[in-house]
This record gives sequence, structure tokens and C-alpha cells, in this order.
Amino acid sequence: MTTNVPVADVAVETSNEPTNYLNCKRGFWSWAATLDHKRIGIMYLVGVTLAFLVGGIFALGIRIQLWSPEGVMFKATSEDGLAGYNQMFTLHGAFMVFMFIIPAIPGALANFALPLMLGAKDVALPRLNLASFYLWLTGTLLACYSIITGAVDTGWTFYTPYSIQTQQSVISMGLAIFILGFSSIFTGMNFIVTCHKLRARGQTWFRMPLFCWAVYSTAILQVLATPVLGITVLLLAFEHMYHIGIFDPAYGGDPVLFQHFFWFYSHPAVYIMILPGMGVISEVVSVHSRKPLFGYRLMAFSAISIGVISFIVWGHHMFTSGQSAFVMMAFSFLTFLVAIPTAIKEFSWVATIWKGSIALTAPMLYAMAFLIIFSIGGLTGIFLGALSTDIHLHDTYFVVAHFHAVMMGSTAVAFFAGVHHWWPQIWGKMYNETLAKISAVLILTGFMVTFLPQFMMGSQGMPRRYATYLPEWEGYHKVSTVGAFILGTGFALMMGYLIHSIFAGKKAKQNYWGGATLDWKTQTPPIHENFDFDPVIESDNIYDYSFLTEEKKA
Amino acid sequence: MLGLLPYLPLIPQGDPNPKQPHTFPDARSVVGDGIGQMPPAASTFASDVDGLFYFCFWLSVFFFFLIAGLLVYTTIQNRRKHESQAAASSVTHNTALEVVWTLIPTIILMVIFAWGWKGNLEQSIAPGDARQYRATASQWSWAFQHPGQKDSTLNEFWCEVGVPVKFTMSSKDVLHSFFVPAFRAKRDVLPGRYQTVWFTPTVEGDYPLFCAEYCGKDHSQMISTVHVVSKERFDEKPWNKRPEKDEDWGAQFYSSLCIACHSIDGTPRVGPSFKGLWGKTEVLADGSTVTVDRNYVHESIRNPSAKIVKGFEGVVMTPYDESMIPEEGIDAICKYLETLKD
Repeated sequence: MTTNVPVADVAVETSNEPTNYLNCKRGFWSWAATLDHKRIGIMYLVGVTLAFLVGGIFALGIRIQLWSPEGVMFKATSEDGLAGYNQMFTLHGAFMVFMFIIPAIPGALANFALPLMLGAKDVALPRLNLASFYLWLTGTLLACYSIITGAVDTGWTFYTPYSIQTQQSVISMGLAIFILGFSSIFTGMNFIVTCHKLRARGQTWFRMPLFCWAVYSTAILQVLATPVLGITVLLLAFEHMYHIGIFDPAYGGDPVLFQHFFWFYSHPAVYIMILPGMGVISEVVSVHSRKPLFGYRLMAFSAISIGVISFIVWGHHMFTSGQSAFVMMAFSFLTFLVAIPTAIKEFSWVATIWKGSIALTAPMLYAMAFLIIFSIGGLTGIFLGALSTDIHLHDTYFVVAHFHAVMMGSTAVAFFAGVHHWWPQIWGKMYNETLAKISAVLILTGFMVTFLPQFMMGSQGMPRRYATYLPEWEGYHKVSTVGAFILGTGFALMMGYLIHSIFAGKKAKQNYWGGATLDWKTQTPPIHENFDFDPVIESDNIYDYSFLTEEKKA
Repeated sequence: MLGLLPYLPLIPQGDPNPKQPHTFPDARSVVGDGIGQMPPAASTFASDVDGLFYFCFWLSVFFFFLIAGLLVYTTIQNRRKHESQAAASSVTHNTALEVVWTLIPTIILMVIFAWGWKGNLEQSIAPGDARQYRATASQWSWAFQHPGQKDSTLNEFWCEVGVPVKFTMSSKDVLHSFFVPAFRAKRDVLPGRYQTVWFTPTVEGDYPLFCAEYCGKDHSQMISTVHVVSKERFDEKPWNKRPEKDEDWGAQFYSSLCIACHSIDGTPRVGPSFKGLWGKTEVLADGSTVTVDRNYVHESIRNPSAKIVKGFEGVVMTPYDESMIPEEGIDAICKYLETLKD
């Protein structure tokens, strides 16, 4: 590869350091007004990490409260009662879902890696990209404002009519989610156009890395489903302010209609979270086992079919709300349909690793933690898709543990796998890999200790969103709380060595992990324009690692 | 095996005014037995639901260990030992294998779907001879009416072992959900629309009934007791257990409805304490005064926002109508308040 040729308009010249997108311009405005997808990706990375921190603190608060059956921080007999707990679980859910998981992989990782993988200079619409970040920031600040003015206590699902009767801050939180929704739509539109228009010369659709397929499929969901959420929270705000009588039974409205609207978005939203995570895992397992992805085409079609089917399964969130027997059957059947491509993906990842050249690097450990936890998340979904068992398990800790396996144990772990995977390419610095491996093991252990007891409590009937509980479940809750602190330790350690590496990490060598896709073919870290050559894809085998092994033989 | 999960030592609790309406004599009435995964089985639904649950459970255990085992095995066998080591296999596609791992899960999933659907059809159709009960949910209590009962019983009901029970349910305010784990029965309760749930209890005992749909501040306190009793006991109509003395009946209302917000030891909670309240002259938020007598108590129960005591501005109390507290019940509460005059 040619060494970097500094571009003409670059003013700053640092000693010995080749120019890259990080050092080509300096100063606050070079970041705040940047149109560079890589810098916007870093701003997202910082933003979503802070949101994760806030959501995580609420999570630990929840687990502290549940250490004893009548509650540690809030008690029913005290003057303010249990309302504080209800606010904590609401804010935990809202921050983690709307401000962390949904924007995390598309906003931070896809923003950085997708244009590189396509051999593009930037995303198709760089200004829209920056606007999407500022919308995210505005929405998040508005959400923080709503906390100060009386934190919402409706649960992140905002079910009516409770959400109509409770405090005013539901309105500002609703508007925050409306704005965050537009941020998500902008990101999605951008990636759709980028995948269609900016692929490298010779890069047909089936020569795109699977991460691009996953992000593309996600983007379609973001563009089609998110407007429904926007309309729903607006209607909720209007109902709260003007009593327009859509959801409020006191004015002839239907509270169950809200659930249909809400889940019409929020079920696809689950796939908005997990699909890009699946894309990350596809890249990581391929690079770190030096094998092309097993069943590439079937994987690509699975990503698309998951996206399509996810639009017609929302009713499985409402099996106890009184739908007709026929509708229940239809939603249950469709739910089982979506399990099939999901199973195909899991098997294909295992087959990709199978007899590879397996390097137990930090990203690979995170990916393996994903594969293990995702299998739990997927398999426990079967219990919930089946009608008769779901009636019993619905709204219990079984559901809580199931969706944490998918959202936290899978999506968030996939996000961190991706962060560790692309970190040397993003910063040109390398973190302490021993610490990274310890944190991966801590997070996997912490997950199991936190959530396996929750599966057990849930199947025994422990309902979710309970600030107090029957003493019979105390042992399970205590173990779960210990697990949450193991998780917290793992994440704190991770934050520590990652931040340390930015300032004092060892310089990362070119193509640190030996990736075969275009994101690794450019300089580490990339120059502002991404490539100083014209990227061309000449082969169908985009995951060709022979250059790593033949070099040495020659 | 999972039931062996170690219980950590209990930490001592120093709550001076414990509210413990929900204790169940036998720990197994909540956590069940066997491998500790399901609650006790006390309705005709349980065997089918538990059968499907354990089918899925062992299937999950099998696939989990299959996936984890394959990962561990290949990691040990094919760990990269030197920098330029190539993959041991370059197979990236195998049609036969891909067809197999698509078809087998599809077949298993369809079996589970059909099993769950069939079970649910049975759960959704109540037999014609089921005893008709009525349930009204409100923040944060349940009012149950047994067949033929004029008033209602708060936070507990009785049903006869072996006899199907059908509930017609409604909510006075927000969403709630009727959930008895031991019966494997759950149904959301909505304002403005009737919902039904039915079951046939099979084992005598006391079981918890939870509100499973988040309903606000005291959601987790909204627990009732289901008494499954023999025919002889049921025929005694245990729900008609109005105490002989009115003040005792009043005390029952207090401990099921008022206790969350009103103390009887003089400390103000969400609302004023009941200690020494009877006959007292209260200063209202608008500066006027009122004497706590029968009229004031009546109004404060039926229309609590009419007169707010100074210092409690902004507090909104749920009004209780006749289905929750009948007119004679208010008399009883007045009698009870008299006893707190000290």
C-alpha cells in the first residue's frame, strides 16, 4: 500500500505522525461542525456511552432497591412511597432504549465503518448525518430536562391511560422521543442512499460485507417504523394536554389502541437494535477466525427477512390484552416464523468459527459472549412465542430476563465487540488487551449471575416493575443484584482502559487484526478522504485472508 | 437443580410499622417444588402449560449446550498458534447442512406453535356452568364479588376446588392485570371494557394474585389472596365474615384500603393520621374549618377532593364508591375512628 499523501488544504503538520482524519484539523469547531462521517461517528460514540452510563446507574439503583423484599431505597410506608423506584425503571428503560441501543451501532460504528467498507469518501448525505447527531443531542437534553422537572414514572412503554393521568413531564419526554425518532430516521435514510449509490467499483450487492447488509436492513426499519412512534408520542402529548379522546377511555378512546401503535414501532425497534449487532458479529467472527462467512447469501437474506417479518409480529406483546383467538394465533405463528432466520444466523456464525484460525482476541471474546447469550435470548423467546406459556410468563421477570438477553447481553455486547474490533482503526491506538479480555469475561459472568435468577423467578410468577416483592424470592433477587455489580465492574474497567488507550495507548500497527474488507485496507487511522487510492472489488470472495498466510510463505 | 440456588442470609429489617398483608403459610405456595422452575400447579391449565414449558426448557438446554460445546471444542482444537496460521477448513457453504439446520428448527417450532395455540384455545373458552364472579380493579386494590354477593370483598376471594370459575373484570382507572401464577392464568383488566378470565382450581390452599400490568405508585402492593377451599367450607360463604362489632369491620376497611396513606399513630403519611381525628376541628386549605363528623367522613370517602386539609394540598385520594365501601361500611369506619380518639 502506498504511504499517505498529505492533501493540499491540510495546515497542521505533526512530527512524524502521518496525517489522518483525527489530526488533519484541530479545534472545537473542526469537530462540532464536521461533516466527516468518522468524526460524527466518534461524537456518537461519546454520546451513546454517556447515555449508557446514565442508564447503567439507574440499573444499579433498581438492583439496590430490590436487595430486600420491602425495598432498600423506597418503602411503601414512607411518605413518598414507591414512586422513586417507578421513575428509576422508567428512566433506565427510556435511556437505554432510545438514547443508547437504537443509536449505538448505526450512529457510532456504522457511521465510522460503513462508508469505509463501501470504499466511499463519506456517507451520501454528510449534512443530514451531522443533523442527525444534533437531533440526538437535542432529544437527549430534552429527556434530561424532563427528569429535572419531575421524572416520568410510566415505564418506557408509556401505556395509556396511566401515562395520560400522570405528571406533565410525560409531554417533554414524549417530545424528546419524537426528536430522537427523527435522528434515527435521518441516519437510516442516509445509509440506504449510501448503500445504493456509493459502493466501490466492482462492489455488487453480494460483494458488500454482511455488516452493510445488516445496517441496510436496519435502515429500512428505521425509516418505515419510526414515523409511527413519532405520531404515537405526539398523540399521547395531545391527549395529555387537550384530551382529544384517542387513547383515554374517559373520553371514548381506546387504551389498547396505544399498545398497537406503540408496538408497531417498538417491535421492529427490537430488530433495529439487534440487526446491526448481528452485522458486527458477522465481521468480527470472520476476521478473528480468518474464514469467510459461512452461508453468506443465506445470511444476507436472513437479515432482510428478519426485517420484513418483524413488521407483522407486534401483537405478541399483547397476548393478555384481549385480542381475538384468531389474531392471537396469527401473531404467534408469525413470531415463530421470525425465529427461523434467527436460528440460521446463529448456526452460521458457529460454522464460520468452526475449524477457523481462531484467535481469542478481545473482540472475539466479546463475540463469543454474544453467541452464548444470544442463544439464551433466542431460545427463551420460544417460550414467549407459544401462546399458552406466554399467558403465564407475560409481564414477569422471565420476559425481563429474555429481552435483556437480547438487548443487553446481545446488542450491547455486540456493540462493545465492534468497539474493540474497530478501536485500533478508529484511534490508531491499541488498548490493553489483557484488561479487555478480563472485562469480557466479567461481563459474560455478570450477565449470567444477574439474569439466570430472573428467568427462574419469572417462571415462578414474579411480576415485573415491582418495587417490593414476596420474601420467597429474596435469594434470587440478591444473587441478581450481585450479578449487576459484576456487570458494572466489567463496564467500568472497560471505560477505564479504553479512555486510557486514547491518550496513552500503544500505536496500533496497520490493519491491526488482519481484516480483508475495505475498512482495513486504508491507512490506520484513515485519512480524511478515507482512501488515497481508488478502491476496486474484483472478487466475490470478499473475506479472503490468503494475503496474511501467503505473505509469510513467500 | 436450580432450586438449590443458595439463599443468602436475610438482613434484619427495622420497619416499625410493617405492612404485611401478603404472607403465605408455606413457601411452596409461591415458588413451587420439583426443579423450582414453575410455581405450584393448582388449576386444570397447569399440566398442559407446564408440559410445554418443560419441553421448551429441555430443548433450550440441549441447543444451548450444543452451541456452547461446538464453540468450546473448535476453539480448543483450532486456536491460532502462529501469526500466519490459515483456517483449518475453507468450507463456506454446504447446501445439505443449511437445509437441515433450516428444516429441523422449522419443524420443532411449528410443533411448539401448535401446542401453545391448542392450550390457549382451551384457556379462552369458559365452560357454560362456570361460577360467575366479578372483579373490579382500582389503584391499588381488588374488589371481588362472589356469586350472589351484593357487596364486595376486598383483596381476597374464595373458590371451590374442582368447580370452574369465570371472572368478569373491569378497571376503575388505569390498566391492571389479573395474574394467579398457580393457575397459569392471566388477563389484563381495562377501563371502559369488560375482560374475562376463567380457571378450575384443583388443589386447596392460599395462592397469591398479582397485578401484572404496571399501574402506578403502589403497583407492587396490589396483591390479593385466592383461597381454594373444600365444598363444605365454600358453602359456609366465608366471604360473609363481617365482624360482629362495627368497629372491627371498620378496622378491616382501614387495613385493606386506608393504611397505605393514613397512619393510626399520629404521623402524617400521604394523608392525615387517623389518631385523634374523630371530633377534631380541621383547618382546610382555603382557611375555613370543619369538624370531623359523620358527614365529613362520608364526603371524604365518596368525594375526597371536596375538602382538603391544610398541609395536604395537591394530594389526590381515590374516591371509594358503594362497590368498595357500602353505606354501612362508612358507619363502621366512623365507629372505628371513634376508637382512635384515645
